[in-house]
Parts: sequence; C-alpha cells; structure tokens
Amino acid sequence: MKTQNLEYKTFDDITLWNNLKEGDEKSFSILFEKYYADLVNYGNSLSPYTEKVQDCVQDVFTDIWVYRNKLQSTVVVKAYLLSSVRKRIARLHERDHIFRKVTSTDSIAFLLEFSVEHDLIDDDYATKERVAHLNKLLNDLPARQKEALYLRYNQGLTVEQIAEMLEVNYQSASNLLYRGLLTLRKEWKGSFSLILLLSLTTC
Amino acid sequence: MQKRNTYTELEDFLSDESFQSWILNKIDEDGWEEWTLESQQRAKLVEDARLLLLAMKVPSSTLSASDIHNALQSTWIKIEEKENQNTLISHSKVKFLKKYFLSGVAATLVFGLVSVWFYNNQIVPKNNVITYKELIDENSEGLVEQTNNSDKPQIITLSDGSSVLLQPNSKLSYPKIFTGNERKVYLSGEGFFEISKNPKKPFFVYANEIVTKVVGTSFRVKAYSDQPDVEVLVRTGKVRVKSNDLISRSNQEEVVLLPNQALRFVRSDLSFNKITNITQDEELTKSVGNIEQLSFEFTDIPVSQIFETMEQAYLVDIDYPKNKLKDCHLTTSLSDQPLTEKLKIVCNSIGNNTSFEMNGNQIIITSQGCN
Repeated sequence: MKTQNLEYKTFDDITLWNNLKEGDEKSFSILFEKYYADLVNYGNSLSPYTEKVQDCVQDVFTDIWVYRNKLQSTVVVKAYLLSSVRKRIARLHERDHIFRKVTSTDSIAFLLEFSVEHDLIDDDYATKERVAHLNKLLNDLPARQKEALYLRYNQGLTVEQIAEMLEVNYQSASNLLYRGLLTLRKEWKGSFSLILLLSLTTC
Repeated sequence: MQKRNTYTELEDFLSDESFQSWILNKIDEDGWEEWTLESQQRAKLVEDARLLLLAMKVPSSTLSASDIHNALQSTWIKIEEKENQNTLISHSKVKFLKKYFLSGVAATLVFGLVSVWFYNNQIVPKNNVITYKELIDENSEGLVEQTNNSDKPQIITLSDGSSVLLQPNSKLSYPKIFTGNERKVYLSGEGFFEISKNPKKPFFVYANEIVTKVVGTSFRVKAYSDQPDVEVLVRTGKVRVKSNDLISRSNQEEVVLLPNQALRFVRSDLSFNKITNITQDEELTKSVGNIEQLSFEFTDIPVSQIFETMEQAYLVDIDYPKNKLKDCHLTTSLSDQPLTEKLKIVCNSIGNNTSFEMNGNQIIITSQGCN
C-alpha cells in the first residue's frame, strides 16, 4: 500500500515559516498544528494557570500572523516559538502581580515534573529502581537547571538558544546544564553502589 | 553516524536525536545496538545515558486533534479581531485632527439628520420588508444571476474560490469578479456557503432583511421571500449578522454566531432569535443537507473515496483516471475549505502534475498517478 501525505506536511519549518511570511495561511496552520500541543505543555510547566496558557500560546500565533511582515526570515522556528511563549507567560505574571514589580522572565519557575517511561517491560527490577531514583534526583534539581536540561534534551535546543531564552550569557547557560548533570552524576555514583548491593541481596 | 565514535560524554548521547529515538521509541535506524556492544567502556556510557533519558520523560500532551483544531479556529478569530482593531487605531489617528475642525459641522448635521429621521418615522409609513429584487436594484456593480430550477442542489464557484451550494427554487446574484474591499452576494432561497479566507475582503450575504458578514468560514442561509423567517446556521468559523441598513437606520444590534449556532430573524417584527443549541430545533435539524453531515477529515483514505465524498457533498460528477489512482491514499483535512480549494489540495497531494478542470457540476481530474 502506498501512502502519500499532504505535500505541505513534508516541508521543513523554515520553508513553512517563509511561506507564512508571504501570507500563506496553510503554512501557518501546519506550523500551528505541529507545535501547539508541545507549546501548551511547555507553557503549563511555567504557569499554574492552565486555562490562560492556551490563550498565551494562541496570542503568540496571532501576533506572528498579524505582524508577519516584520518577522525575521532566518530563525529556528521551534526556539522562536518556545521563547515567545516564555515571554508571554512572564508578561502574564507581571500583570497578575503588578505590585511585585517583576520585570524579567527570571521570575517564572519551571514547574514541570519529569516522568518515568512506564513500559520498561524488558528491564529488571533493579533498572526500574535506578530510573525511579534518577527521576527523583532530576526533579529535585533547582528549577533553572531543570529547565535548561529540558530545553536541551527534550526540545533539542542548542546552548546558544537556551542562553538567549533564559536571558543569560553562553557560559551561564552551559554552566546550568553542566551543574545539573554533575549533581546527578555525583549522587548517582554514590547511591548506585548501594542500590546494586540491595538488588544483589534481593536476588 | 561517524561522529558518534568520538562521543566521550553523557551529554553527547543525550542530545543525539537518533540515540533518543532508539531509547524512547525503540527505533534503531543507525544500528546503535551493535555499535554499543563493540566496546565495554562504550556500553557503560550508553547504559548511563539510557537510564537518564528514561528518567527524564516529559508527560505527553492531553490535547486531542480536535482540541488543536478548535484552538486554531479561535486563533483565526483572534487574528481577525486584532486586525480590525489595528485598522481602527490607524483610522482614529488620522481622524483625530479632523475631529475638532469638523465637530461644529457634525453637530449641525446630526441635528438635521435627527429631524429627517423623525420625519420619516412619524409621517411616512415605514416599509419593513425587503426582498431579493429590491436588493439587486440597490446594487450597481453589474451582477450575474444564477437560478436553480432543478430539484437538486447546484454548486456555484465564485471568482475568489468560494463555493455556494444553491438549493432548488433559489437564486444567487454575484459579481463576475469581486472588486473593491468587499465581497457582496445576494441570495433568495437557501444556500450553503463555504468562503475562502481573506481577512482583507470580508464577505457579505444579503438575504431579505439581514446581512451576514464573514471572513472565511462555512454556513447556511435560508431566506425565501415568501416565508416569515430568515435563518442563518454556522458550521465553522465566526459569523456576524445584522439587519439591512435599508430597514433600520439606527445602529442596531449585531449578532455574533459561532459554530453550530443559528439565528432566526422574524420578519414581521424585525427581531433576532439566537439559537445556541441547534439539535433542539426541529426546523433546523430536519433540513440539514448532505454537505453538513459529511466529514472531510481523512486519514490514509483511498483517493477514490475522497472523490466520492465530494461528489455526494456537492452533487457534482468527478471524472478521474481510476486505474492510475487506485493505489493512492491521502491523509488530509479538508473541512472548512471551498470546493475548488479542496480539489487543489487533493491534486497537489497526489502530485505528478495532477490538475483539475471544472465545468458547472462536471469536474475532470488529469493525473499520472501518485508518487
């Protein structure tokens, strides 16, 4: 059986982006459908107001279309979208806490909890324990380190893009990532021997 | 895939998309499994990276495809509102200077207009009923008129690509080519409209005493000149309805309709009744046409079946090379698109210089098969 998908769907982001700039509604819709759920997920990890997050993401797309003439033609679309959502949500917090005079996106805490892959069928009990333990360590990391790790490894952004998003310089961004993993590695080495011991005794 | 031989750190693996897809989706396109077994040291590193990836999954989205579709719809509505707002702002900037200069003149005019209005309303008996003929006479653009005297609905394609499914005993007048900043058509009877999106050129349907304004959407208007009501029913997008300026000089209410909402305008007392639950309304549900019931969401569906759905919906004949297209399947969403747009999307998706030609209700597809 031969399957042919809608031709548009195979276009890469930057082609769609530039079509959109020219006023192509189809390209706009495809980018929207491609990224909406992911952006809402990310937005939810930055704000406890779930009902407003969808609004924010829709506003980001609204502005993209309305001001499409002013968009740059060389962007990494995903990074641009994630960053716009982050700024929107920061602005939302500003308005809600107007007396706190918060002005930067620093104020928003990354609330996402990493979860564990559930179908580890082919893995033994010890592995599952280790994954669960690692997951706890990850979730206990400071919010900024967690967000940096999320952007790097779940969203696939580069260190430069993360630095720009979190409004820090390159070095600080790579420090965030490095420190996050370092904590994990240290804790991990220490506790692994223990878990290994435990699992040996249970066998 | 040569670069992985230089990997020495956990980070290298974590950010490798191919590696991620092996661990998380169990798709091993680049032979990671064998590669890992090549060296003991490597195996250790890979195992660590694997555990870490497994421990940092992100909860998957709870949004369904239709949630996303709805979100896209409301985003287009937001866009329309914002664009309207922006033009208002730029208008008011220009007007700001003129305003003071003109305010004296305006006051005099207002006084004059109010007297005229008062005179008209008090002395001259007001004619409340407008029919198709009067509407056409108002327009001076040189219209084309199409009448459906058959017993089946008829498809009309307008110059902007919009399509109208005209019911029996109905008439539609429209300009051969839409010029200017508005698209205006005149209806007597019943039609199902699928309007091609163009926020810069709003689309107006004049039907008896009411005017329906849209930017791009699908909806049904029923306005027979000999019936007491006028009905508008919306399927997708957003529609605004108000009464024609010819019957009410004052700035009367405008009713906004969302998908699956309807409106009944009572001609005798010029009142609007909004119906938010159309399934409860017998009059409306019994006249639902084919096109409103068929789904245009296709997932891996043979092209022949997609054409068949279109034939049913628009009552057209589609002629296509059956043999050449017999193995072609498409995944596409064609809801909320006028007929020509639907054909265009399908032809583009099939590829291979596929094109269509339309003559009335006869459509011919030429194709060399799909890629």
